[in-house]
Amino acid sequence: MIKTLRPMAKISTQFLSYHEIQVDDIDLYEDAFGFYQEFGDVFKLLDRLKPVPKKKLTERLIERVRQMN
Amino acid sequence: MRKSMTDYELIEEFVKGEQSCFEELIRRHKSKVFAYISLYIRDQALAEDLFQDTFLKVIQSVKSGKYYDNGKFISWVMRIAHNLIIDHFRRVKQLNTVSNDDYESDLFNSKKLAEATVEDHMIKKQIQKDIRKLISQLPEDQREVVILRHYSGLSFKEIADITDVSINTALGRMRYALINMRKMMEEKKISLTIN
Repeated sequence: MIKTLRPMAKISTQFLSYHEIQVDDIDLYEDAFGFYQEFGDVFKLLDRLKPVPKKKLTERLIERVRQMN
Repeated sequence: MRKSMTDYELIEEFVKGEQSCFEELIRRHKSKVFAYISLYIRDQALAEDLFQDTFLKVIQSVKSGKYYDNGKFISWVMRIAHNLIIDHFRRVKQLNTVSNDDYESDLFNSKKLAEATVEDHMIKKQIQKDIRKLISQLPEDQREVVILRHYSGLSFKEIADITDVSINTALGRMRYALINMRKMMEEKKISLTIN
């Protein structure tokens, strides 16, 4: 029985250490609450709205900032 | 070069006189700030004014040494935007005037607009209008969390800091908001009509 066992990691997935897990773009609290899994339909709808400032507005702001200095 | 700098590094260089560093900060955070303000303020011209005022106030505060880095530059900017919005509503309340302007549809920039048919475009606009209505009908505290999380991309920790509540409260408000929005979606039969 023991002879048939192989050492771990040679045939199985390597274990990850905590610092190797990429969490930069993940809000752990949100992840823990599972909002995306539970409310995927609502998020999908909210994604249809993307309020962005017009290019002219940004240019106007940058111009005002330049005038301030 | 500037794109790889942190917010604080950009601020430091701006204070030293490097003008373009603040422009990079504007480009980096403009959408988060604009989304927050424009989903609160119906009047487009006013939303644009408050958007500009937020960044101008940031400059004044940075120059007078009121910003201390704790790695939360955007949270601090959003708090300034938040205060400006509150000031606006206070003024409106004092004057007892409420704007009845409807949401402006040209707030939304669609890259594929030219390719879309007129009908698709109209449906798209209607969906966006419905979403705005959906958000505006949420209770104030729930609406704020949805906007800050989904449209401004802040973490729940940052939202908790800005709104002066615990992380659990912010998470709870988000859950209620999502439940309420789903309910309204079902009641009003709002769905993704086109992809």
